[in-house]
Amino acid sequence: MASYDKEIIRDLIDGTLPWQSTKSIMSQYKDDDRFFKYIDILQERVKFNDQILLPIGEHLYIVAKKSEPQGERVVKCGCDYEFGHYTNNWKLNAVINVRDEEEEIAEIYPGRHSYDPDWMEIREFICPGCATLLEVEAAAPGYPIVFDFLPYLETFYRDWLGRELPAETTRD
Amino acid sequence: MNDAVENKAKGLKEQLLENDRKFQETGCYAGITELKYREEDPMRYESLHTKLRSMSIASREMARSISASPGVREVGEMVVALYTPEGDAISLSTGIMVHVHTMSRFIKWMIQNGYEDSPGICPGDVFANNDAFIGTVQVPDVMVVIPIFHNDELVGWAGTVAHELEVGGITPGGDVYLAQERFTEGLFVCAEKVGEKDELRRDYLIRLERNLRMPIYWMFDDKAKLAANLELRDQVKELIDDVGLDYYKRATREFIEEGRRAQLSKVQQLMVPGRYRGHTFYGHLTEGKPGILPLGDENLLYSIPLELDVGGDGHMHLDFEGTGSWGYHSMNCTPAGMDGGLFVTLTQSMNFEGKVNDGAWLATDMNLPSGTWTNPDRHTVATATSWALLLPAFGIFQRLLSRGFVSRGFKEEAFVGQVNSPMVEMGGQSQYGSQFGMAMFECSAAGSGALGIKDGIDNGYVGWNPESDMGNMEVWEQGIPMLYLGRSIAADSGGPGSNRGGTAFTSLWLMHNTDEVTIATSEHSSRVYDNAGMCGGYPAPTAHRHFTVRDSNIQQLIDEQKPLPHSLGKDPYTTDLARLVEGEKKEVEGPHIDKPLQAGDLFAHSYNGGGGYGDPIERDPLDVVRDVENGYVTPEIAQRTHAVVLEHDEECNAWRVNPEATEARRKEVRNSRLNKAMPVKDWIASERERVLEKDFVTEVHKMYQDTMGISGQFAKEFREFWQLPENFTM
Repeated sequence: MASYDKEIIRDLIDGTLPWQSTKSIMSQYKDDDRFFKYIDILQERVKFNDQILLPIGEHLYIVAKKSEPQGERVVKCGCDYEFGHYTNNWKLNAVINVRDEEEEIAEIYPGRHSYDPDWMEIREFICPGCATLLEVEAAAPGYPIVFDFLPYLETFYRDWLGRELPAETTRD
Repeated sequence: MNDAVENKAKGLKEQLLENDRKFQETGCYAGITELKYREEDPMRYESLHTKLRSMSIASREMARSISASPGVREVGEMVVALYTPEGDAISLSTGIMVHVHTMSRFIKWMIQNGYEDSPGICPGDVFANNDAFIGTVQVPDVMVVIPIFHNDELVGWAGTVAHELEVGGITPGGDVYLAQERFTEGLFVCAEKVGEKDELRRDYLIRLERNLRMPIYWMFDDKAKLAANLELRDQVKELIDDVGLDYYKRATREFIEEGRRAQLSKVQQLMVPGRYRGHTFYGHLTEGKPGILPLGDENLLYSIPLELDVGGDGHMHLDFEGTGSWGYHSMNCTPAGMDGGLFVTLTQSMNFEGKVNDGAWLATDMNLPSGTWTNPDRHTVATATSWALLLPAFGIFQRLLSRGFVSRGFKEEAFVGQVNSPMVEMGGQSQYGSQFGMAMFECSAAGSGALGIKDGIDNGYVGWNPESDMGNMEVWEQGIPMLYLGRSIAADSGGPGSNRGGTAFTSLWLMHNTDEVTIATSEHSSRVYDNAGMCGGYPAPTAHRHFTVRDSNIQQLIDEQKPLPHSLGKDPYTTDLARLVEGEKKEVEGPHIDKPLQAGDLFAHSYNGGGGYGDPIERDPLDVVRDVENGYVTPEIAQRTHAVVLEHDEECNAWRVNPEATEARRKEVRNSRLNKAMPVKDWIASERERVLEKDFVTEVHKMYQDTMGISGQFAKEFREFWQLPENFTM
């Protein structure tokens, strides 16, 4: 079964591995030991010490909190901003910019590239801590915000990874 | 003989029921709980599978050279497959992987409807179908299948599908956009016996000849399909003689069970169990256009939400609850079509190695709410352009899978997804003076969504044909009375992101040597984008318009050797047609359904780019300047959206990045984001007032009325999200 050094995986996920090597990895059977190497790489990059349990986006992680309530599974941005428990939609604790006026739309989609703001709006979900654009929704006005991903963490760790998930203290 | 192998004495219908019963009882295909042959002699087992797959591929390649259609010859819109007697896919060629289960449905439909008794299933028979309610995606996907008999026992089916370029509908071409009910979609062949003794019946060919604008395509394609099937059949029979019938029957069923298991384990290997959600929208703009019938005379906004549940056992359940009703338009889809969307996505995302067959279908399921466009509750509904909604729907599926890949660490597999690639369908008087009809398949080369680790593919990908190819302009010009003035990268057509979505292209044509060309475009969202970005990337701008110039002065421009337009140009506010040409200029929003064009007129059509991945201001400035230099991105978008400060070197006529200024600019953008944005909770509170007042334009209002009416679950979630009174209705 394939297995790669952490350095190779680091370059691969950053898109800096030469294309030939990348293509070769994509065409091979997958390396089953990827997950925890991946987590180690991400852990080195974030500005918090809490243990990453699962990445759920480019800068978003479900972590087990080190501080009180210890072990609580919350969503954090890589900058340490905390969005609340992972079973709730992190977007509700973000800040938002909605592009529904011509001038703002034209900043991204000028002229004939534009959409009709009466039919659709662009919603930008931004981290209040570091201003990173975390997700963009293109939705009809009035459409509820999407809860992108609710992982079954216990099942994932216990049944798929064969590891114990760090215990979570009782939530308030 | 193993009891998992069907009893020869049983009829096909009984065999089919028996297989279903065994699956229900054991959870394994045809009751095969052990992969006995695989374990006993893996080399022999794998050798059989490889040979069957090679035979399918060789049959397809041979058939492509028989076909007269550039869609099949140039673009490869064809697939050849082998089925069990009950119609389960064993192995497929390369090509349009859509049809793993659509042909399966067609074969099963014949069995379930007593075809063994009438019209009979005999050696040498040929059956054809393009009825999506029986088993295909849309009218132009015409499938031809033949039974494979070994001695006097039916041991399987060989089937081939190709996308026909002209189907004789209300508007010319294959994807008949103006069809609003079944009765205007074109020529239907409904699970019909169209040949005997290995030949197509003459009366069937006469029917094709007399009901199509360009019969040569369908007729020769059907001959090519039959030839592919005969080739596959004869080779399979030889192989059965070689390996023995009992071995063949058991091993091919093991392939399917192995396919089922492989799909479940692949999900467990690549994904994370959980509930994934996403959505997209599609705008349908036809109100008041010529040819729209009273029942269809409205504009529509479709919402397409998708929930994917990945269970602990690796089973995937897709749920389209909350999407809209079917309508009097051609974009409805049948469950067979939805199967097509599922498979074409699966075979590109996780089910691409080993046994690609109906096993994966058994490891997934879908909720397609009755009465919605995904599952119309009447068979007279038109489905001629079902890709219009189907492709965006399964683009969401790709993003949901990709969320799982990113979570699991396989970021190189994350893919922001496919997009619609609008088609140009046309017909009228050809450049040779005869009647013609054509589907312009250069659309098989849109921009793909970005990947988790790199930019999307520029001008070279569509979801429905993994061998995407736009075809040579010269070949298309042989078949249509139009000359290319240009085929150009459409700058800024990819969704911005740290990894940019693939760009699309625009074609500009001059009508040539014709008095009448009717152009009807399809799969083309209006006013809203029918795709999305991911992880901070933006959607691609896919609400295109069409541009025509009638009575143009193009000949005069040529005579005077003045600049000619070759594209719409890089200025998003003024097209090159507007700048360089004189004549009757028109901008058509929505599908191009308009009066015919003639020699000397110009027509421009844009295809779609893909969505972006990641925050655009995290994009490497050097990648941005490379894009500007190569025409993928304009300097304006580079500076505004990617916050890269560029300087133009007049002497070298080249753009350069100012790194310090870029860093400062990006810091400024971050600050300005926080200054402009508001807490989501505050935004929800203010938007709630708008929802309570139902302050929406007609199409949005109608969309909510429809989806809340057809889905109690969506209505409940909508009310809960906005904290509306329980009796709130739209």
